[in-house]
Amino acid sequence: MVRFEAVSFGYEGKQTIYDVTFQINQGDFAAIIGANGAGKTTISKLTNGILKPTSGRVLVKGKDTKTTKTSELARTIGFLFQNPDRQICQTTIRDEIMFGLKCVLKDNHEIEERINQTLETFGFDGSRDPFSMSRGERQRIALASVLATRPEILVLDEPTTGLDYRECMQIMELVQELNRQGTTVMMVTHDMELVNDFASRVLVVGGGRLLADGDKTSVFRNAEVLKAASLMPPQISALAQRLGEPFEGIHHVDEMADRIQCLKEGASL
Amino acid sequence: MKGLLNYVEGNSVLHRMNPLSKLIIALLISVSCFLCKGHLFLLGVILVNLALAAVGGIFNRALGLLKTLIKLSIVLFLLQVFFIRDGNILLRLPLNIYITDMGLSFSLLLVLRLMGATMPLTLMLSLTQMNDLSNVMVEKLGIPYKYVFVLITAIRFIPVFMNDMQAIMEAQTARGVEFDTRNIFKKIGLILPLCVPLLVSSVKRIEYGALSAELRGFHHRKKNSGYKQYGFKVQDIGGLALFTLLLVASVFL
Amino acid sequence: MSKAMVQTKELCFKYKDGKEFALENIGLTIEKGELVGIIGSSGAGKTSLLYTMNGVIPHHYRGDFYGEVLVDGLDTVDNTMDRISRLSGSVFQDIDGQMVATLVEDEILFGLENYGIPRDEIESRVNEALEKVGITHLRYRTISSLSGGEKQKVALCAILALKPQMLLLDEPTAELDPQSSQQIFRILKELNEKEGLTVVIVEQKIMLLSEFVKRLIVMEKGKILFDDEVREVLKHSQALYEAGVNCPRVVSLSNALTQRGLYKGPAPIHLDEAETMVKEILHGKI
Repeated sequence: MVRFEAVSFGYEGKQTIYDVTFQINQGDFAAIIGANGAGKTTISKLTNGILKPTSGRVLVKGKDTKTTKTSELARTIGFLFQNPDRQICQTTIRDEIMFGLKCVLKDNHEIEERINQTLETFGFDGSRDPFSMSRGERQRIALASVLATRPEILVLDEPTTGLDYRECMQIMELVQELNRQGTTVMMVTHDMELVNDFASRVLVVGGGRLLADGDKTSVFRNAEVLKAASLMPPQISALAQRLGEPFEGIHHVDEMADRIQCLKEGASL
Repeated sequence: MKGLLNYVEGNSVLHRMNPLSKLIIALLISVSCFLCKGHLFLLGVILVNLALAAVGGIFNRALGLLKTLIKLSIVLFLLQVFFIRDGNILLRLPLNIYITDMGLSFSLLLVLRLMGATMPLTLMLSLTQMNDLSNVMVEKLGIPYKYVFVLITAIRFIPVFMNDMQAIMEAQTARGVEFDTRNIFKKIGLILPLCVPLLVSSVKRIEYGALSAELRGFHHRKKNSGYKQYGFKVQDIGGLALFTLLLVASVFL
Repeated sequence: MSKAMVQTKELCFKYKDGKEFALENIGLTIEKGELVGIIGSSGAGKTSLLYTMNGVIPHHYRGDFYGEVLVDGLDTVDNTMDRISRLSGSVFQDIDGQMVATLVEDEILFGLENYGIPRDEIESRVNEALEKVGITHLRYRTISSLSGGEKQKVALCAILALKPQMLLLDEPTAELDPQSSQQIFRILKELNEKEGLTVVIVEQKIMLLSEFVKRLIVMEKGKILFDDEVREVLKHSQALYEAGVNCPRVVSLSNALTQRGLYKGPAPIHLDEAETMVKEILHGKI
């Protein structure tokens, strides 16, 4: 779906991304993690062509981002920014969703249908003014607007910044459902618990380089890589690592509780 | 554009001058451009501006500014030169438009005045810290702190707004809005609806700033509150003297 | 008789354009030197509560104000916002918006100059503040060249220079990465322990909050749901979840284990305690 081939990027003479190569396949839920300034957001912007690589190439479903207009790639990639206020530009929710749809669809009838569908899925009242609502609500509106275009690939740049736990879950559960239905997801974040709960694949970025690329267990176990990226593993994973072998591969509360119970009762694993 | 108003770090004699001197010198140069009568004087002033920029280490920026001004000037020049009818006709064009020698001279003068007068102020902003300027404006010129603060904040916000605008355009491009079109008219038409989010986020940000300022005693500020002090040194006196001479010369030249 | 830092009695507040009460019947006491955390879902009233402590409510944001709020004995309604705000320093969520200057040094000087602090004192206050936060090396930098975490430290510095008695922080780490967030919390804890500064911090990051604060207030829909020592509050994980507040994973774990009858002790707050807890349960089975 998305392929980075030896991508490097720099601006104003400073290089920020060095020789990054990876491939995201259809249906993946990949999390891109790393310290602040490591290049995560840059990579996300390289994905849909907002930024073009200075060397190497980025392919989205076979199309090179250097030769394809970003506005065209928008049909395939939906991008949710960290700050919903950058995206929201209309005075009612309905208009906002319509704005996004009009960019990629021509059939008014289809547009109308999708708007209604989206409003229903999210439970919005289409006539409300986005700016009168809380940031969490606005993030949901921005997401609704992006999802209405039914992108095949969804890129999220720190989507849960400034949101409370409930709002965070609302957004993530929706994204998870979409992923189950086949949407490929790339999420930039530094919330390790989020990665733990939702991602299947983890890419660690540090100093503009790709430090690791694999599944949760192998990445969270790699202490050097995490240290190089100034990250701590999620709490339960870290606890599991400390407790040693019988707890290998455990990342979630329930699994941990189960394992403890098993061990306590002396049952064989 | 944002690059033109930003302070550029440096340690030149101009950087170290008292901000008030720099402000006055900039004004002296600008005023002299309007008082003088000859083209050559103005060309000289422009060269002086460039020389000052070189001393301050911002020669390239000044050149860039000059290039932009020249482009603007060409437009102005053309607008002016076709409307002046006095003097001897030098060039006759269809539709009864002609260029006269007086028209040429006058338009050229206008354009050179513009260039000569705009440069000093912009250069001054590049060589003086905003805060230093605001301090002298309040302390020495007696302008109420509130007004100076508004001016400084406005200038400080220009790059912030431009950043925001760019981020907004990025976000919209990612949705499929064709900002990456080559057609400039189309681009402008697309930018208009985006003023809404820009305004909203700006208002919010300014509100926080105002609140933060108020909570830190903004209303208490008196004329002499400023901590930093700026002395008057040899270079200040020298500079002021030099450019006062320039002003005087402009009356005659 | 020593006055409490903050004391509220039957505090209710509705914003001028608000449909419902933002704060309902809030009664709490914060003693001097406490380190208190406030958490709750968005719209719960956390920021509003903070604003009543520095006078922003009712002076800057008008509305219907009932009840009483005393900050160091001063009634916030009878005194000007200026007078009240001198007792405390506030740090906001919008990192860039709260700055007023271009240079770090000027930002710190701002408040000092405003209040007419004598010149010879200014220099020492600036140095002291920079040292306390550990950013002396950033003194001459431009603010726009700093990272988010560094900027928040500057904001903190600017306030510390004014020697407030209380620090009020509204989601200061919302836009920061985990490392910077930790640093901020650590600085706050140090300030609280070494200088006896009262610190009230609103945050969503439950894991950091529970590690650093001693007392946790949970708000929901304008009311206080829980107000107690951190471990006690975290026991009510179900109620917290329904109020839209998360628990640190290790606490969820201990609650799960308690439910299964495997554990009866206090909730662990960080990894070390969790490790000890598990080992205790398994009693040498590892």
